Amino acid sequence: MQPNGAVFSALIPFSRLECAGRAYGRRVLAIVSTYALVGVEAREVRVEADVRNGLPAFALVGLPDAAVREARERVRAAIVNSGFEFPQKRITVNLAPADLRKAGPGFDLALAAAVLAATGQLPEARLDGVAFAGELALDGSIRAVPGVMAMARGAQGSKARALVVASASGPEAALVAGGAVIPLERLEQLRSLGGVGEPPAPEPLRPTLNGDVPLPDLADLRGQPGLCRALEVAAAGAHSLLVSGPPGAGKSMAARRLPSILPPLGPEESIEAASVASACGHPVEAAIARRRPFRAPHHTISTAGLIGGGNPPRPGEVTLAHRGVLFLDELPEFGRGALEALRQPLEDGSIRISRARYAVELPCRFQLVAAANPCPCGRGLESGACRCDAGAVRAYESKLTGALSDRIDISLTVEQPDLIAFAEAAESSAAVRGRVLAARERQRARGQAAGTGDRANAELGAGEVAIAPGVERMLAESGTATRLSGRGRERVVRVARTIADLDDRAEVTVEHVAEAMAMRRRERR
Amino acid sequence: MNAAAGWRIGAGDAGYPSCLRELGEAVTPGLHGVGRRSVISGFDNATAVTIVGARRASGYGLRAAEAIARELATAGVTIVSGMALGIDAAAHRGALAGAGTTVAVLAGGPDLVYPAMHRDLYREIVASGAVISEYPPGTAARKQNFPARNRIMAALGGVVLIVEAAQPSGSLITAEVAARIGRTVGAVPGQVGVGVAAGTNQLIKDGAHLVRDARDVLDLLFGVGSGGPRRHGPELEAPLRAVLDLVEAGAVSVDRISVGAEIAPREAAVALARLELLGYVCAGAAGDFRRSGLAPP
Repeated sequence: MQPNGAVFSALIPFSRLECAGRAYGRRVLAIVSTYALVGVEAREVRVEADVRNGLPAFALVGLPDAAVREARERVRAAIVNSGFEFPQKRITVNLAPADLRKAGPGFDLALAAAVLAATGQLPEARLDGVAFAGELALDGSIRAVPGVMAMARGAQGSKARALVVASASGPEAALVAGGAVIPLERLEQLRSLGGVGEPPAPEPLRPTLNGDVPLPDLADLRGQPGLCRALEVAAAGAHSLLVSGPPGAGKSMAARRLPSILPPLGPEESIEAASVASACGHPVEAAIARRRPFRAPHHTISTAGLIGGGNPPRPGEVTLAHRGVLFLDELPEFGRGALEALRQPLEDGSIRISRARYAVELPCRFQLVAAANPCPCGRGLESGACRCDAGAVRAYESKLTGALSDRIDISLTVEQPDLIAFAEAAESSAAVRGRVLAARERQRARGQAAGTGDRANAELGAGEVAIAPGVERMLAESGTATRLSGRGRERVVRVARTIADLDDRAEVTVEHVAEAMAMRRRERR
Repeated sequence: MNAAAGWRIGAGDAGYPSCLRELGEAVTPGLHGVGRRSVISGFDNATAVTIVGARRASGYGLRAAEAIARELATAGVTIVSGMALGIDAAAHRGALAGAGTTVAVLAGGPDLVYPAMHRDLYREIVASGAVISEYPPGTAARKQNFPARNRIMAALGGVVLIVEAAQPSGSLITAEVAARIGRTVGAVPGQVGVGVAAGTNQLIKDGAHLVRDARDVLDLLFGVGSGGPRRHGPELEAPLRAVLDLVEAGAVSVDRISVGAEIAPREAAVALARLELLGYVCAGAAGDFRRSGLAPP
């Protein structure tokens, strides 16, 4: 964490003794804490400001990116416009550890505080043990920055007394239990720190009515009972799902209705999802309202955009979909690299991004839902209207059979619904969700009884689903007849377990296995 | 290639397919093969159909070739083709999907997979059928050998079916040889103005038999209405029969079956799984269900 620990121990006593606003010879040093966001975690960064006589200059060192380097101009203007004085001296600010790349505007507030402390305009005792996270406007007001939840957790971890944030991000930062937060509107309020005028800690963000906008309902899927059933099974066991069919058959419409039948986020899951949203600068309200995230990136997305990347590493769509749904519409149109890169996240529920000096682990436990056309033109080989040539069709299909096919639990084909069938409304999301919740409850209870923890059926390992010998025999026979691979067999068994859970049955029967067999992903010859 | 050791059948040997002798002067001195030797030594072109066509085929052609080959294979017909890209590969795949026997005739040594991207297909053909060539193992496939290879395919099929062919093309050479040695030639019609349909439409105009489905081919092979060695499956209960009829009528999704048969989607799925197991329907990679060639009793 602090590679230059030796340097710190030499500096800190020096600053404590000498810098509280008083000059030591011709130079003054102040140190304050802030946080750099790496992935979805905050790492402590010490801001050291050294002010000495010489030609006026403001140097910033310690691997700042362009936005951090520009902070100099914001800090200068904000200090002056807040009624402080900007020293006409040689100022050097170091961001330690020096080998961690610092990105974004979140360092502004800490830089200003360090400069003010080093020039004696703020008593350093007041800043003692306080960490800062905020961007400065030129007029001295403080703007919210992404990742305050992670930073509040970081502040808690590094035993800081409190984290100073923009008042706009106060409620978000206060979501972290046990972390003290001081919300400030403007830079001049730094004077109130540790004194009578210090603003009270904000109330944690509460689920608002706004986060409770009704989701699109399953009842809209008229004339597609098979599709509704597949969604129900997928939701009940958190199974990955691939829907194939011509354009207009309701594939993405169905995918967007999946969140409406999923169980709400648990209290811890809700905080996890909110932290991810916070780190990415997304609103956290939906996660706090215990809504599962639903991410639908476009197929032109880069590998880094999908799984995360950059330096410092930023979370990708798989992490934004953590504890929720990742929907890949037009799956075969995604880049091969992006699809290949999805394997590890799907397997492990987390993604590890390695950089030369460190590695970041990002959470990404998501449910994959994908949609595909039957061929590149979408009309389908059956239709007679398809003009795709054989090579293009082969390339298209190879995307489906490649990277992801052995990660798909449920695969089904849809057609344009019959006009006659349109008349009948499908079951409402509320009704289906009731069954899904009951099935999940069964899974939870079973996991608890076995001491294996709360996992959905899709997350169970090989051999973890108990099957009666009679059913086992039927599975073995049909497996041979339909060329079912070992992995394929495991997936069928897991889906059958979910179907049995929806049936409220303790035992997996032949019927359950048969339905799961019909839903399975087939290997292409 | 240890898994499937090569073998050779000379022209004078007992197992040499007699139909090849009808090539006259162009008869092959012998065949080198990999896979099941009995497929060739017991070969009877009265129950074999050669299916060939364009490499750059359309989706329509690929589907037609695969469906016809699958149904013929289910009916017990051996499918002969050249393992080339496009129609040839679709024909082999259809035959394998119908759990039938298929023979690939190569223009190089039978141990060399050509084209190389078909190595999985090659492995499957070798496992259940045979890959043969008149060239010894190790011979690279050469351009000038392809027309010669085509004459073997023409001779092996009781019926030679062309699915999509440009003009001129190797498929038309196969058809020409077939007509010369008295094989029945069939062609699948294509859309006017489409390049790969020009050859097949010309064949039909010149008197080749128009083939719409496997039924038409069986009629050519065994005579109209004879049905040939069509295979029959086990007895079906009424609800399964109703679902089978819907698949026959073109429903490919659980949705359509469920709505059409007025049964719950889970019952539809269970019925489809049963029918797949009994061999009455086959499912594509995407979970799309289609009728196989297996006939109900």
